Amino acid sequence: MTRNMQTLSCRFHPESTLIEDWRAGDTICSECGLVVGDRTIDVSSEWRTFANDTDAKDMCRVGGPDNFLFDNNTFDTMIAKGKGKPAVDEFGQQKYKTTSVQTSSGDRALQDGYNIIRQMANRISLENRIVKQACLLYKKCHDAKCARGYEKEAIAATCIYISCRQGGMPRTIKEICGIAPGVSKVKIGRCFSKIKQELPNFILHEAVDVKNLISRFCGRLELKNHRLIVKVSTHISERAKEICDIQSRAPESVVGAVIYMACAIIGEQKPIKDLGLATGTAESTIRQVYKELSLKVSQLLPTGPEFSACSLRNLPKC
Amino acid sequence: MDFSPYNALNSHQNDQYESPMSLPPSATPRSVATRDDAHATTTNENRFYHRASIASKKSIPEMGPPSAVPSYHSGSIAPATPLSVATVAFTPRTVDASGVQPSLQNIVSTVNLGCPLDLKRIALQARNAEYNPKRFAAVIMRIRSPRTTALIFSSGKMVCTGAKSEEHSIQAARRYARVIQKLGFPAKFLDFKIQNMVGSADVHFKIRLEALQLRHDTYCSYEPELFPGLIYRIIKPKIVLLIFNSGKVVLTGAKQRSEIDEAFDLIYPILKGFRRAN
Repeated sequence: MTRNMQTLSCRFHPESTLIEDWRAGDTICSECGLVVGDRTIDVSSEWRTFANDTDAKDMCRVGGPDNFLFDNNTFDTMIAKGKGKPAVDEFGQQKYKTTSVQTSSGDRALQDGYNIIRQMANRISLENRIVKQACLLYKKCHDAKCARGYEKEAIAATCIYISCRQGGMPRTIKEICGIAPGVSKVKIGRCFSKIKQELPNFILHEAVDVKNLISRFCGRLELKNHRLIVKVSTHISERAKEICDIQSRAPESVVGAVIYMACAIIGEQKPIKDLGLATGTAESTIRQVYKELSLKVSQLLPTGPEFSACSLRNLPKC
Repeated sequence: MDFSPYNALNSHQNDQYESPMSLPPSATPRSVATRDDAHATTTNENRFYHRASIASKKSIPEMGPPSAVPSYHSGSIAPATPLSVATVAFTPRTVDASGVQPSLQNIVSTVNLGCPLDLKRIALQARNAEYNPKRFAAVIMRIRSPRTTALIFSSGKMVCTGAKSEEHSIQAARRYARVIQKLGFPAKFLDFKIQNMVGSADVHFKIRLEALQLRHDTYCSYEPELFPGLIYRIIKPKIVLLIFNSGKVVLTGAKQRSEIDEAFDLIYPILKGFRRAN
């Protein structure tokens, strides 16, 4: 494209700089004042000054960008707040007001869903992008009608679960049940399976990432050697996945047992009850998984200078 | 479409013409098959047709040039001599070295007794019948041999579950129909159909479910949080398999025993590829 572009230059002063005059749209030679190019098009936004809207930086008549979350089929009319005398009637009230915004019923259903999602997400302070992902997913489900028959809360909870997982910070289904009152684990599970089957182009590659769970659950336990325990736990869990027979265990159970082992090794042993509360699993489950892990303890431990504090001496039997 | 016998090594190609072995005897082209005629003696030509197919099965290793070209028009009877059909190498099913055959665990079948029923009377008069209209709108009846349970509805339709083989299922359904008959209703035995068959098998080695899911993610659904087994959906035949860590496999959704066997034969080599090392 650069080859076809005409490089403007003054006939008499080819080396002189050219000045662009936006008011007239001319390009003028600085030496002799010859108009070299005319009819320059200004691509910035509109020039019209709207008398009262002085705070609008971009005086664009087109309006803001589309919000993907809504159907955008409806166009609304809004009446701005008037400032002059004709805008105010005898009692000082505005003469013309924006009457109630007419949203279509489809939009209202979507709006309800988004509100539910935002409320739930606020309870565990999820990141903004995860909430937006969840809302988008909710809209996709709504459009594809794939979660028919499930209540809004259930679909919203499932959307949050999926978007947390897709965003790399998985929340266990039990945690999601905690923020969604009235939605049981079974319901979320069924809704999740249905969405997975019916939503086109939906493949959840990310399995539940255990590292994230480990750091979060360790945080709940208020450990002194937090970082070391997290490191050790991550290492144990990765090794355990390969050698131990714990594959079909729910991730939170595995994490519970792994943290228990790591805490015991480092010397800061926590009772299983605390682990159960932090991970949301039953004590007997953690005990069972721990028994499996302890069969192959020696292979699970990390080696290295920073892990010198680890000792197998304090390992509890149960 | 290449019909040379060398290409017929691929057993799927056998499906391009109606192979006599894949269809039930009642569906052969010339027979006017009703349910009752399924086991009756067929016409002379049909018997010949069957013999031809048996001959073709026996001569599998023959790979010489065909002595006569078999007819490939669908619906036609096999040509003059039985031996000519034999030249098309009828490849057996891929040999699975598993030696494991899935065993049937449950068969669900339905039958229409053909007359409306008074459930209250049935519950009062029959033995081993329970009826709780507030909970469920059908009589639940049980018999000891074959050990099955039946749900009998007031419209006259019946669901029979719990049998471990097709013969047991139809036998049990007939026994229930006899019970209803003895109670005074004009019960018939119409439209017996097996709706679902469940089978189980054991491959005797541990399986890496997560790896299997990564490879076959369009067919698999594995959520250890929700269920410890991997749910594998085969498209043809339309069967759902539950594959567990220990190597046990449950197959369900079949309408015929052959579908279960086929599905297991399909999945076994895949599972062998995901065997756990230790």
